[in-house]
Amino acid sequence: MERKTFPGTLDSLEGIRQEVKEESQRVGLSKKATYNLLLAIDEIATNIIMHGYEENDKSGVIDLQIDHRDNQIEVTLEDDAPPFDPLQHTLPTEEFFNKPLEERPIGGMGIHLTINAVDKFRYEFANQRNRNIFVVKVGDA
Amino acid sequence: MNVTSSTVDSIIVIEASGSIDSKTAPEFERTAMAAVQGQKEVIIDLTNVEFLSSAGLRVLLMIYRQVKAKSGKVVLVGTSEEIQDIMANTGFLSFFSTADTMQEGIDILKAA
Repeated sequence: MERKTFPGTLDSLEGIRQEVKEESQRVGLSKKATYNLLLAIDEIATNIIMHGYEENDKSGVIDLQIDHRDNQIEVTLEDDAPPFDPLQHTLPTEEFFNKPLEERPIGGMGIHLTINAVDKFRYEFANQRNRNIFVVKVGDA
Repeated sequence: MNVTSSTVDSIIVIEASGSIDSKTAPEFERTAMAAVQGQKEVIIDLTNVEFLSSAGLRVLLMIYRQVKAKSGKVVLVGTSEEIQDIMANTGFLSFFSTADTMQEGIDILKAA
């Protein structure tokens, strides 16, 4: 698919999910795998918008690219916010998830959800842009 | 996303529909937190919620804390399999009761 560009604002989340959903359904990704892919992308896109752009008083875009080949769907988000590797972010520990909900710190779940929701997730910083890549296998349920 | 609150048999029912993401979660939070203030029996109807991100989970956590502080109980109705999976994955599910239908949710609260 050709690259689509969205403004780096929360209003874009729905449009990004819609694009990915349509393409996932077109290539026959299961309902559950599609949902999980949408979740992963939504979490990372939210981080880009809120932490990459808004917290740094910057505005910018998110470029969305979806490729389907070798029985897998690969979604790439690229942005111009300051370099940020989600994988270097501290992941919640087991201790966090064992805590009763009353005592848990609010937040910090997004990256955990992302990593668990797709087959592969990777981050690159290339040509002065953040690149977040999500890979999901198509075909096996 | 749409969110409404109502009272059924003195139970507070919060009904959401559509997608709860970082854009829409603040509205869900405002309506839900105002409705559950001081309440002990709460149903959150997620039957028509098609997408719930961690921003939505965060609001469920806030509702849970508020109601739990009054020794109350929160029942989730109509949660999709996909959302239940995410909640199980983050350890959320065990804190809520779940029901397939509104009547079942009401029965759970009335039996408690």
